[in-house]
Amino acid sequence: MEKNEILTQVKDVVSNVLKVDATEISDDSNFIFDLGADSMQSVELVAGFEEEFDIEMDQDKALEIQTIQDAVNFITEYL
Amino acid sequence: MKELRQLRQENLETIFHPKSVAIVGTNNVKGTVPHDILYNILKADFNGIVYPVSPREKSIKGIKAYKYVVDIPDDVDLAILVFPSSVCHMALEQCGQKGIKSVIIISAGYKEVGEAGLKREQQLIEIARKYDMSFIGPNCLGVINTAPETRLDASFAREMPDQGNIGFLSQSGALCTAVLDYASAKHIGFSKFISFGNKADISEIDLLFYLMNDEETKVILMYLEEVSDGLALMDAAREVIEKSGKPILIIKSGRTDEGASAAASHTGSLTGADEVCDAGFEQAGIIRCDNLEEMFNRARAFAYQPPPETEKVAIITNAGGPGVLTTDAAISRGLKLAKFSEETTAILKKALPATANINNPVDVIGDARSDRYLAAIQAAFDDQDVSGVFVILTPQSMTDIDTIAADVARIAEGQTKPIYTSFMGEKDVASGIDILQRHKIPHYILPESMCDAYKAVYHFNKNVKDKVHQLPSLDNIQGELARKLMDKVKSNGRSYIPEVECIEVLGSYGLPAPQGKLATTAEEAVQIAEKIGYPVVMKVVSDDIIHKSDVKGVELNLGSADEVKDAWERIHSNALSAMPDATITGLYVIKMVKGAEEIILGIKRDPSFGPVLLFGLGGIFVEVFKDVSFGVAPLSREDAMHMLEQTKAYKILKGTRGRNPRDMDSIVDALLRLGQLAVDFPEIEELDINPLFVLDEGQGCVLGDARMILTTTE
Repeated sequence: MEKNEILTQVKDVVSNVLKVDATEISDDSNFIFDLGADSMQSVELVAGFEEEFDIEMDQDKALEIQTIQDAVNFITEYL
Repeated sequence: MKELRQLRQENLETIFHPKSVAIVGTNNVKGTVPHDILYNILKADFNGIVYPVSPREKSIKGIKAYKYVVDIPDDVDLAILVFPSSVCHMALEQCGQKGIKSVIIISAGYKEVGEAGLKREQQLIEIARKYDMSFIGPNCLGVINTAPETRLDASFAREMPDQGNIGFLSQSGALCTAVLDYASAKHIGFSKFISFGNKADISEIDLLFYLMNDEETKVILMYLEEVSDGLALMDAAREVIEKSGKPILIIKSGRTDEGASAAASHTGSLTGADEVCDAGFEQAGIIRCDNLEEMFNRARAFAYQPPPETEKVAIITNAGGPGVLTTDAAISRGLKLAKFSEETTAILKKALPATANINNPVDVIGDARSDRYLAAIQAAFDDQDVSGVFVILTPQSMTDIDTIAADVARIAEGQTKPIYTSFMGEKDVASGIDILQRHKIPHYILPESMCDAYKAVYHFNKNVKDKVHQLPSLDNIQGELARKLMDKVKSNGRSYIPEVECIEVLGSYGLPAPQGKLATTAEEAVQIAEKIGYPVVMKVVSDDIIHKSDVKGVELNLGSADEVKDAWERIHSNALSAMPDATITGLYVIKMVKGAEEIILGIKRDPSFGPVLLFGLGGIFVEVFKDVSFGVAPLSREDAMHMLEQTKAYKILKGTRGRNPRDMDSIVDALLRLGQLAVDFPEIEELDINPLFVLDEGQGCVLGDARMILTTTE
């Protein structure tokens, strides 16, 4: 899967989980600082990524991900 | 360092008196810290502009919210960060870019959670330095300023306290909420209320200096869990008390004695961290309190009433038993009962029934109503020998409790003498106590607490407030020689320095060395003994032997050449049979001192307060009797004398039961010199002088034995 494709899907998941307009999400958006994710939503994001990409991520490491770009890089390792 | 202190003072002024506040990371979710902080600021009627900053919300509580702090079009004085710790540094960076200098970081997840948190905390400090910002926190409850022109409740406490003249600082946020609840029930108001959390930037010392200049604050209270820099805290406290006359009351929790048990010297094993803290606080004029009740009992006395001129009080009671209890409590705390003038007793005789006791303590009798109390209180206030009035009340069927409380409050107005009360009981006296508390009349459940509070205020005003901390100038200190000797003893990597060399070092600082010398042969020992005169003492000298008496390595009262030669053989034989591998350098031959008092002096280095001095009655049972006192070096002459006065040994040294008074000035001088040595040579980890022989008054003292432990991680 191309990185651009992963990026688009990651943004879709984030937009759905955080209820944020996709246009407000940039590649370096921070889930908490820029998009206002709370701790519950961070867990939901991990679950969303796993479902979207059909992968099972290391939960502890996944929860340390802070930005869209970090998420893309992390997910790439599982694909 | 001074610049940073100045910067923090300027930024603290904005923290307490901002014209505009941004709450960065807030939200719309009730019951969460980010929400409740904003809510409290609004609820307190803050006299300024509030800017919610939230990544997601467009508005909060009807106020437009900004996505980033840099989006706010106006200047912002104070930012309160409530983001999770993982992104707080990003918010702080933006605050710096926005030109905000004053910040409160509420968020937890820093030093208190371990290494990763410590790194995050360091990051915050670096950002703050880059932009000349100062911040309180992280990991704190927040800050409250009750001044009407500001009314800032930047905390997530349940209620904003009343305005008052007590400044409260706490390292623990949770304790703050308990204190606020306690204070609310007793109508205790605060000027400033500050939870400073991890004190990563602004510390309790900065806050002490701020409250020193804060006109709203009359009394400073603090709860501390760790004293990071004891000497800095002592210096700050001295400055605050000297310049402002404000009392500082501190609860320092954690009264454990880590490290003392493993110490290699008497001083080390006797000097616990808590004793050092006690000594340091007392030297600096800080009033240490054991618990919140004691702290607020004293604080109310300081905050509500004028200080007493003398220790003489009048007790007005409607019951004999409580009067006696109060008298006992007063006398046992060093207070005195005032002696009424004839005029006062005449007034009391006229105003009170024949069965009343018109002498101090005045018993207005069980059926007394407010008129009798008022007459007695007024007479006591007017008596020149009275410096303070204690009013005791027990609830009897005819006692008009509320009226008496209201009248006590009224009569206390404008008085230059303090009045304290104890309405004894609970349910029936509750409304009366409430009246007293609302009118800022100190009330105490127990007469003992009342007397303790009076004593604390009296002692502070008489002995502490105007005390000048002046270090003495000491002559006959040969610093260069001491340095050379110290370099020499350190040269072979030893950490334990035995008697002979230790006494040489002490001698270079003007401490009186004994007459004597190291002998390496029996013949040489005899020569030395002949020269200094009999009787002599001989002691084994070996780097391997710390406790000489344990190996029978000391012989006293040797009166001839033959005794010296015999002792030479015995000491060698004893030492080598106890420690066959020990290398014996020789024997130390010194003049025997007779008829002197033996005391111990010592140095121990405390991780927080630095060099600590010990004084006590000496001898081999010093650790059994533990009649010792402590002081943080360098000492003033008064500090050193106070160390002596604190022990039971003081009475012995003063001369008791026909014994001559000893030369206490020489002990004070020895303590001052030892303190200077400890300050000048931080490599001295522990030092024992045991014994120091103290001769009769005017004849000085002589070092008996000494040893030193140097730090191995210089």
